[in-house]
Amino acid sequence: MRFIAFAIVLGVVPFLGLPAFYETFLYLLLHAVVLATSWNILSGYSGYFSFGHGAFFGAGVYTTAAIVFNYGWPFLATLPLAAGAAALLGLILGAIVFRVRALRGELFALLTLAITFVLGTVMLNTVDGGPGIQLLADIPKIAPTASGTLYLLMLAIAVATVWIAHAVFYSRFGTGLFAIHDDEDVAEVMGVPTYRFKLAAFCLSCALAGLAGGIHAIFVSYVTVAETFSIALAVNVVLMSALGGTRHWLGPAVGAIVITALLYGFTAGQAPVLGRALVGAILIAVIVLMPQGILGLVLKRFSPRAAPRPSSGSERKLVLAPTPNSEPILVARGVSKAFKGVQALSDANLEVHRGEILGLVGPNGSGKSTFINVVSGHYPADAGSLVFEGHELVGRPAHRIARAGIARTYQIPRPFAHLTVLQNVALPPMFGQVTMDRASAEAEAWRWLEFTGLAAKAYVLPAELNLHQRKFLELARALASRPRLLFLDEVLSGLTSTEMDEAIKLVRAIRDQGATIVFVEHVMRAVMELTDRVVVLTYGKAIAAGAPREVMRDPQVINAYLGSAHA
Amino acid sequence: MLEARGLRVTYGAAPAVDGASLSVEAGGLVVVVGPNGAGKSTLINAIAGVQRPSEGALRMEGTSLLDLPAHRYCDHGIALVPEGRRLFTGLTVRENLELGSYRAAARARRAQSIDEVCSIFPVLKERLDAQAGALSGGQQQMLAIGRALMALPKLLLLDEPSLGLAPAIVLELFRVIREINGRGVAVLLVEQNVAAALEIARRAYVLEEGRIVAEGAPRELAAQPHIQRAYLGLH
Amino acid sequence: MPSATLLGQSVLSGVFIGALYGLLGLGLSLSWGLLRQVNLAHFALAFLGGYLTFQLAGRLDPFVTLAVTVPLFFVAGIALHWFLSRYAANMLNTLVVTFGLTTIIEAAIQRIWTADFQRMESIYGAIRWKVGAFYIPFPELATLLLAMLLCGATWALLRFTDFGRAARAMTEDAPMAAAFGVNEKRVGYVISGLAAAFAAIAGVCLALTHTLAPVQIYAWMGVVFAAVMIGGLGSALGPLLAGILIGVSEALTMAVTAPTWAPLVSFSLLIAIILFRPARF
Repeated sequence: MRFIAFAIVLGVVPFLGLPAFYETFLYLLLHAVVLATSWNILSGYSGYFSFGHGAFFGAGVYTTAAIVFNYGWPFLATLPLAAGAAALLGLILGAIVFRVRALRGELFALLTLAITFVLGTVMLNTVDGGPGIQLLADIPKIAPTASGTLYLLMLAIAVATVWIAHAVFYSRFGTGLFAIHDDEDVAEVMGVPTYRFKLAAFCLSCALAGLAGGIHAIFVSYVTVAETFSIALAVNVVLMSALGGTRHWLGPAVGAIVITALLYGFTAGQAPVLGRALVGAILIAVIVLMPQGILGLVLKRFSPRAAPRPSSGSERKLVLAPTPNSEPILVARGVSKAFKGVQALSDANLEVHRGEILGLVGPNGSGKSTFINVVSGHYPADAGSLVFEGHELVGRPAHRIARAGIARTYQIPRPFAHLTVLQNVALPPMFGQVTMDRASAEAEAWRWLEFTGLAAKAYVLPAELNLHQRKFLELARALASRPRLLFLDEVLSGLTSTEMDEAIKLVRAIRDQGATIVFVEHVMRAVMELTDRVVVLTYGKAIAAGAPREVMRDPQVINAYLGSAHA
Repeated sequence: MLEARGLRVTYGAAPAVDGASLSVEAGGLVVVVGPNGAGKSTLINAIAGVQRPSEGALRMEGTSLLDLPAHRYCDHGIALVPEGRRLFTGLTVRENLELGSYRAAARARRAQSIDEVCSIFPVLKERLDAQAGALSGGQQQMLAIGRALMALPKLLLLDEPSLGLAPAIVLELFRVIREINGRGVAVLLVEQNVAAALEIARRAYVLEEGRIVAEGAPRELAAQPHIQRAYLGLH
Repeated sequence: MPSATLLGQSVLSGVFIGALYGLLGLGLSLSWGLLRQVNLAHFALAFLGGYLTFQLAGRLDPFVTLAVTVPLFFVAGIALHWFLSRYAANMLNTLVVTFGLTTIIEAAIQRIWTADFQRMESIYGAIRWKVGAFYIPFPELATLLLAMLLCGATWALLRFTDFGRAARAMTEDAPMAAAFGVNEKRVGYVISGLAAAFAAIAGVCLALTHTLAPVQIYAWMGVVFAAVMIGGLGSALGPLLAGILIGVSEALTMAVTAPTWAPLVSFSLLIAIILFRPARF
């Protein structure tokens, strides 16, 4: 609501009778705010740095310019089309690019840069024709002057853009984007529909840029390819966001205002050249001193460390799943997976019975972690079938497997580094079998933090946890989606004796609440104590299955571990 | 020759190696066995300089290694064959060997060393110009050992060389390790594969949960309940 | 359809311009491929080198100015690497810092030499030969020869010397390279210094063959990035070959259609490679 108040206050400006210079300056300020903020919605939040923002801005510019010039439409009517054209371009590009796993980081940045040049060249040779397009558009009389009207339009868009960035930031969509930023593969496994989210963020970002472009066409009134599709715009939006802080919805706006004001201040002043040099120096200084941007530093100083925890209400029993019987909940048949010539899983067959704790053991390199990765969808299986409660999992994207009720921990903990412990654990409930809203998800997360003893560390970043706590964070995160089948990948290794006893009690408690657990472990003492059945893997195949003590005395198994001398 | 005392290597608050002490005599063949998660890799990485202990002492022929930067360890006669081989896959077999002898003292003898490595591992000789990444698992292991030998080490550190290899190749591998030791190079070997390791060792340590829990001659250790309990969980 | 002579001359000029792309791309390819640092300031440095040559051209032969600029830039490269490793830990921050540096250098250039287009006068400008029906101007030929020499020498350095092997090993697995004695810091300094020195040399060629203006710094970024990516990060010969490929395609496109279609070639090629062979990177 403060946004509307803000808008009204700033909306007064054109009516103050200030010289056009101020209106122009403010227009450019807002223009920069829109471009930087819209860029950040995809690139800052999800980490997919685009260097092609100029392409989408340009698409908007030329859509408006072409339609106004060729068909004489009132320019306001062209704005939805400008936004639409840019969004469509983003949709097509994103649909292709986001599918390919390898196209992240620098590649995505350069691909988008290349798109800018390609689009610019195409525009130059087709729509524009070379000399540019001169527009003589009728600007509606909303404010006393033309520049005032354009200012008001850009103000409206700027407020809308910042509001959208704010809304996304606090929404489930935004949380998903931030998770993608930290670890896309894990986010997918936790239930975030990464492809859809990235595409949505991209289209939104492009549409807003296109909208700004449409208005800018009228503002400059003489549209050229060189000015529109320049590399300067692409780089400037990155700089503004980096300066202000890419992890916050207001960061890009702050950066945009700072840089635009600086540039204008110097250009209008006595020494524009010196001014530009100074801007460059300031950029370097800011990044060196504040690697997270201005807002990043400010927020660190003022973030609440230990806010009060919401009242717990009645301690109801945590129920995970219906009571067990011994039918198989998961059946793996002929599952194979190879990596670069190494056959990690080779025609593996095994069954997991409902409600049991199944130990999955075997020497190093026998395929245990790979099995978990394949079931959870982290990697696709090369061959075979995995049937979970009657549904085939092979071929399903990981986020749908998470929705089906399967969760896993990672052997080397992979928490979302920039989310707090609480936010980490609150993510799966937001994207799991029952998609909860933020408040309910956090309440759910609190329960699991208490269960695993991490409640005191709820507002801390994962980097500040020790190994034991990080393993328990993995556990809490996996449990938070109330899975029916839970895979624990070496949660106990690296723990001291006492910590291990605690963990063993915890695992039992989880099973008692109805989950089926598959437990990969090397700590044999724990395997003996906890498991109902054990499956032994070697060289990617299951060679024995049964009660723990019998299986571990099986000569084949002893041979696999210790060699024939001991059998 | 090599003396490690009270090494402590931590990840966060929980130590992966907690007060481990061991020694290797010149020309010795010492083996460290223990179940997975015991800290064997961490221990050997600490001795090789790849990881820094937070506490403890590490001396090689009297020189304290912990005062040195990582790239100086090889000058004191230490060469590492890491877990998972960690070959330079972008380089050819020959280039990997040449890089093994990067340090000045080894560079002078490079041509000779390559001949020697090829005589120990004839299969490498045939594939000198192949990309390291194109070799099979067993061949890669041999190249990793060959690369380490090129540094003319006094002490060869091997981290789970049998990992991912078929039993027949493992036998051959350990035979070669014994041969290398026979030429005067001390060997410190950590292994999960107890049988093969104890077969060639002259002295052995058992590492459990980051601590040395037993030490002695291989035959004695094999008979002890430690091994059975640690590996198989049987009491 | 243009005549054979015209097409031939186009191919030739495409090769020449491509050589300059390659020369500019060499330093970028090294620091990006081997050090994983995207140095946006590389172009500004090249132009600075060009301007310095232009400044000294009255008194010194342009090629002799290299004796001054190359060592100077080598040191600058070392300093830059030190700064980036210390203060700019990730790609985004490296981009910001190097862009800031570009702005500073550009402003300095404009302050000293103004924003006007400057053309360096040298005796070499007038020399050109006629071979058959084709004209071969000396500055462009010199650029081609220098590019081939430097790219070839760098390729040999990376391929045949201990230093080259150490650099390639370090890029792949720095801790393991260190275990065999490779001093990561020192190797990084040398590579960064070399990259900057190559920028100085590219600058001389720029001054010899083109008019200089501060705004031109940005004009080369796109196509040189394309050449580096198509040629392969960390490759010494790649940028040159890719540069020539791009230059010739552009020139032919210009001869057959309109000059304004030329940029489409390099970037479409780049897009195609990124989409279909992302594993190369």
